[in-house]
Amino acid sequence: MKKTINIPLGSQHISLLEPVRFKFECENEKIIGVDADVGFVHRGVEKACTTSFKFDAIGYVVARVCGLCAITHSLTYTAAVEKLLGAQITSKAKYLRILLLELDRIHSHMLCLSHTCENAGFEAMFMRIMGDREHIMEIQELITGNRVQFDYISIGGVNRDLAPESVQKIKENLYIVKQKVQGYMDEFTNNWSLSLKFKGIGMLSLDDAYMYNAIGPLARASGLRIDVRNEIDYLPYHEVGYKMQTHTDGDINARNLVRLAELVNSIEMCENILNGLPEGDIFTKIKGKPQGEALMRFEAPRGELMYYIKGNGSAMLERVRIKTPTFSCIPAFSHIFLGGDYADAPAVLASFDPCMSCTAK
Amino acid sequence: MFDLKKYRKKSPWILHYNAGSCNGCDIEILACLSPKYDLERFGVINTGNPKQSDIFLVTGPVTFRTRERLVELYTQMPEPKVVIAVGSCACTGCVFRDMYNVEVGIDRYIPVDVYVPGCASSPELIIDGVVKGLEILEQKTKEMEKPFKLFKEATTDDGIVNRRHSALKVGEDDAKD
Repeated sequence: MKKTINIPLGSQHISLLEPVRFKFECENEKIIGVDADVGFVHRGVEKACTTSFKFDAIGYVVARVCGLCAITHSLTYTAAVEKLLGAQITSKAKYLRILLLELDRIHSHMLCLSHTCENAGFEAMFMRIMGDREHIMEIQELITGNRVQFDYISIGGVNRDLAPESVQKIKENLYIVKQKVQGYMDEFTNNWSLSLKFKGIGMLSLDDAYMYNAIGPLARASGLRIDVRNEIDYLPYHEVGYKMQTHTDGDINARNLVRLAELVNSIEMCENILNGLPEGDIFTKIKGKPQGEALMRFEAPRGELMYYIKGNGSAMLERVRIKTPTFSCIPAFSHIFLGGDYADAPAVLASFDPCMSCTAK
Repeated sequence: MFDLKKYRKKSPWILHYNAGSCNGCDIEILACLSPKYDLERFGVINTGNPKQSDIFLVTGPVTFRTRERLVELYTQMPEPKVVIAVGSCACTGCVFRDMYNVEVGIDRYIPVDVYVPGCASSPELIIDGVVKGLEILEQKTKEMEKPFKLFKEATTDDGIVNRRHSALKVGEDDAKD
């Protein structure tokens, strides 16, 4: 006689923003097997990049792979092309790129935290964080002209200069958000529904994080010191005050705390950039067609994002390969679910902050 | 007891499905429910159950694997229902139009009442679309409640009342008017 029951979660579920299906094999309340199906939103962006778009347009196409980390996608692609063309961009453009990258990280992390609260049944906190997130969206609209899909980065620099009169407004908004984040820290450490309930749930130990190749906040919450921002020298991250944030517990609470600490660090970086923004042009004209192979990595809000491009000297590229953070984390996800209660599954899933549009491309 | 139809307009429930979008429109829909834009002041609440919802918000071009789920969710929703296509991809396919795994917009599979353009649609536009959808929902409710005749007038031949040919097909009488 069969002792286990199969419970599906998805593809359409109230706690999911996007279609993904998990098939949990449960023995009473315990999960003993997980099967993930992530391919619902596969669109075929990689193929289209080599057949129907020229290389200078792909930066805007790959931004549509994912709306949450759109800026990281277009930046990574653009940086790879610039590496092939041997282009040098101005330092002002570099700083503006970091500014947008960090703003994107702030709003993505805030969305994840609010989603975690909603799945814990703390609707008021969800509303509070979503309300405060609008300050960041305002800044993004002020800088780039759009709230979500910016189309800000182009090959050779950025598309819009920072208006001097908007700097004051940006600083004010960042200050407000910084104060609010301090308040969240208090809630996430002391409030019963957000801290004690989450302690010891969804554990990932340091050894497992290393073995299952976890990246991003998931790995940093387990104490694995891995962050692409620490390793690259393409963008001057060390000049703007980057500090790696880690935690040792590896449970849902630790992930939340790591995200909160990264929020504070990102806001500090944005303030530093605004205070010391160098003068100069934001765009340098670049000629030529990409020839050869290039590989570029950047830290998206969820972990390492990697692009491999191969050009043959014509306007069409031969190959564009996108390796996204959630895709690398799936073995770790499946491992965490094992041995936990089924009732915890939505909360654990929200703490991963998965992005299926990225994964399926 | 309560007149449920009367209150449907005051508190429509939303079902949201991502049919292959980039998450951009989805987070904007979430932003609509947040305090700054506050779609809930119209009585709108987000629900995950198709059997309780009145408004169907769809984002994204339809990928081959989501189209079955899309049609399934649509058929599970009770009448009257309104479908709102959020974002340029849901309307026309947008940048994904010629990709091998993608259809050109959701209206190939389900009837759409309101199209909301934009990449990504701003919350103001989405609220505008939902309010427009509420009008359509009310109109559809009225249409459903309209009484219609089942029989034609009986004919009289040789002083005998003949009802043999008086049965009317649904909608036949309306079409004449």
